[in-house]
Amino acid sequence: MAEDRVPTHPVAPSQFPPPVDSVKEFIGAPTDPEDERIEVGVAIVGGGQAGMACAIRLLQLLEDDPELTERLGEVPVAVIEKGKVAGAHQLSGGVMNPVSIRQLLPDADDWPHWGEVSGESVYFMLNRKRAIPLKPVPPPFRNHGNYVVSVAELNRWLSDKAEEAGAFILTETTGHKLLVEDGVVRGVRTGDKGRDKSGGEKGNFEPGSDVMAKATVLAEGCWGHLTGAALKGLGLAGNDPQVWALGVKEVWEVEQPLNKVIHTLGWPLRPGAKYREFGGSWIYGMNREGSKPRVSIGFVAGLDNADARLSVHDVLQEFKLHPKVRRILEGGKRIAWGAKAIPEGGYWALPRLHAPGMVICGDAAGMVNVPKLKGIHYAIESGKLAAETIFQQLKASSTDFSSYERAVHASDVGKDLYESRNMKQPFHKGLVIGGAITNAMVVTKGRFPGGHWKNHPDAEAPLLLTDRHERYPKPDGKYTFDKLSGVFLTGNATRDDAPSHIRIEQRVPREVAEAWQWMCPAGVYEVPEDAPADGPVDLIVNPSNCVQCGAITAKGGRLTPPEGGDGPLYQIM
Amino acid sequence: MSGILVYALHYEGAINKNSLGAVSEGARLASELGTECHAIVVGETAGLTDELCSSLGAYGATKVFRAEGPEGLAQPVVDAMAKVITDNDLGYALFGGGLLGFEIGAGLTARLDAGVCMEVVSVRVEDGKLVSERPILGDSQISDVHYDAGVGVIIGRLNAFEASENGSGAATVEDVVVDYAPHSLKATMVQRGEQRGADVNIEDAQFLVAGGRGLGKAEGFEALEQLAGALGGAVAATRAVVDAGWYSYSAQIGQTGKTVAPKLYLAAGISGAIQHKVGMQSSENIVAINKDANAPIFEFSDLGIVGDLNKIVPKLTEAVKAKKGS
Repeated sequence: MAEDRVPTHPVAPSQFPPPVDSVKEFIGAPTDPEDERIEVGVAIVGGGQAGMACAIRLLQLLEDDPELTERLGEVPVAVIEKGKVAGAHQLSGGVMNPVSIRQLLPDADDWPHWGEVSGESVYFMLNRKRAIPLKPVPPPFRNHGNYVVSVAELNRWLSDKAEEAGAFILTETTGHKLLVEDGVVRGVRTGDKGRDKSGGEKGNFEPGSDVMAKATVLAEGCWGHLTGAALKGLGLAGNDPQVWALGVKEVWEVEQPLNKVIHTLGWPLRPGAKYREFGGSWIYGMNREGSKPRVSIGFVAGLDNADARLSVHDVLQEFKLHPKVRRILEGGKRIAWGAKAIPEGGYWALPRLHAPGMVICGDAAGMVNVPKLKGIHYAIESGKLAAETIFQQLKASSTDFSSYERAVHASDVGKDLYESRNMKQPFHKGLVIGGAITNAMVVTKGRFPGGHWKNHPDAEAPLLLTDRHERYPKPDGKYTFDKLSGVFLTGNATRDDAPSHIRIEQRVPREVAEAWQWMCPAGVYEVPEDAPADGPVDLIVNPSNCVQCGAITAKGGRLTPPEGGDGPLYQIM
Repeated sequence: MSGILVYALHYEGAINKNSLGAVSEGARLASELGTECHAIVVGETAGLTDELCSSLGAYGATKVFRAEGPEGLAQPVVDAMAKVITDNDLGYALFGGGLLGFEIGAGLTARLDAGVCMEVVSVRVEDGKLVSERPILGDSQISDVHYDAGVGVIIGRLNAFEASENGSGAATVEDVVVDYAPHSLKATMVQRGEQRGADVNIEDAQFLVAGGRGLGKAEGFEALEQLAGALGGAVAATRAVVDAGWYSYSAQIGQTGKTVAPKLYLAAGISGAIQHKVGMQSSENIVAINKDANAPIFEFSDLGIVGDLNKIVPKLTEAVKAKKGS
């Protein structure tokens, strides 16, 4: 094995910040003349589970309150969604705890799912051949009573429900700028369409609009564009910085149904503490009457990894070579692919959830339970709680939504996140020691060892170069795949001649350049073949490959939404 | 009623290549359905000679309807096609593609309350009816579209249908008098020009020499232009090099560029990602030059050359010139 290349001076992406001042660029006063502004009651940015739950709950409450409905105007609830349809950018493993969706819509039990979890296993993968089952299944991995779902599909269903209730769903529309006046959030400005590469106006140019709202809900998901700016500009950041993991997922059509959910730890990730590789896999059977059996398989790894050559997409391909996995997938066909970042900062990274006129819900606020791998029901629950606070406060003509934050912390969402507050951080000590500490935390519901284990920004992790990439299989196009064939399956057709929506420093040391190249599951960043082995590299950026997973925001760049409608069109992610 | 009417676009005394493809496709489908394929031309009488119209017979049209009217505009053609379809009780309207085809097809669909499918890449006969196949989700899947309505409108993707002279000879020409709606005559053709300022229409070229990042630099295209010139063809490019500013967007092939199907597609320094492949996979002959023997393009090339394109391309140009004796 070749020697790992450790730079003499620690190099980290955070030393090369993106050329963007997000507060200045993405927060500001309305600019449209007053009579051209679009007035809505509540503007919800993001049509995911949190946004849709918020819309549905608001309209349920407004149904019995014609007076407030009247005051909210012609469009009481608007959902601004950047995808082609609601759910187009949605991806999860996904196992959902049904408690929140049942509370939200008690009379509608026909939400789409792929089977109730009836069996589960956890394996520790020793190497590329062997695995040992962990028995009994460790408590966080117990999923009885939960359901396998596709959030892309679930969101199309939620979107229909919201629309039936009276929500206006504005698809192919991005929330580009948060409108703030006198310290109060007044709405959002939507993004322009039809700009050319250099930012000029094409023949079909359509400027964005100021959407003025009495309440603004940021439910933007894992890499909130406006949320990021708001955390900085409105001083909402939590105790710790947010940290993320990257998940890459495939859906397979298989011959034999898999009647359980499987999680794995260990191989192909390396246990050594210096690599900082924390993560694992999931393999979920997706079974539905009248449909060929399917399997959701994916791999997740923390983005504070040290090795610039760690590629989660390629780790997933490597993982599929394990005989345990082959037995499940072989003879099947990959029908879908996708990638998404996951906020893993947990409790300590939770931001303040409100500002005058605004609240933050779901993944945008980092409401993910890392040890339990759950977040869908938190998103629904927080959207619902936000709706209830907004309804109460708008009745009183107030823009103070602070009671939403208290409601979240008092709910199961807040309680669960508090109990698991330190459960990711110990893994920086390596898998074995980290695992032991975390187990102690699980058993004591987070009381031992207590305190505050700090998170550090992913982009500050110093990088090293190893021969990690030599282990990735060469894609055969049948069982193992390259990145671009995955991007193709997402239906991504981002316009080529649009301005780049990815803000990064393009001239960086090789370590940083490679870290972005290997990290990105969609092949957006390329180190030129003739780049020097030492010294700065001028990265090639292919923004139209981007599936908007958000990893670059975690790892020292800044993603912004491209033109509305661009990006993937996930069906069954 | 199951007869097929194909719109044939003409310009400066010649029928458009995609229209010829649509006529051939219409004739093939008509024979499977046990019916006939007709074509329709709309324009100024002077340009629509009997000879030009009846030449569509070579591609399988049995009858060509000739309507006098404004050229190159959609609404007059909608009027003319609606009349011919209604008068002759035809079942399908077929277009070879292009923006004009989309516009006429959409108008015709509204007029006849028909069913429509655009960007069709293939049509087949099933239970005595036509079924259109259309790529969706960025070409990653194919959907089948069946027609419920009385009339089915099929708008092909550019180059989806190949022109073949399988017809039995000259078609009969029938003049139709169309009573144009007032709004159809409001627009006039002011000027015609190639979209996006391209010098050569790469979608119509028989020989394409395409360059990718393997050229190394923008100047690499000079050698490709010489080879294309010698072959009498045009130069195309991948997204990567267009992004890098080495060549113009109008020459971009692939998922987010143009779709082509020339007789020869010579790919120089192109790795062959699927996003490029979907734009050129129906080319008749694919020849790839790449220094990386593992490049995916070799998996769908008819002929692959592993080597230095900077050496191979100029030699190829010389050889073509020598063969052509110029």
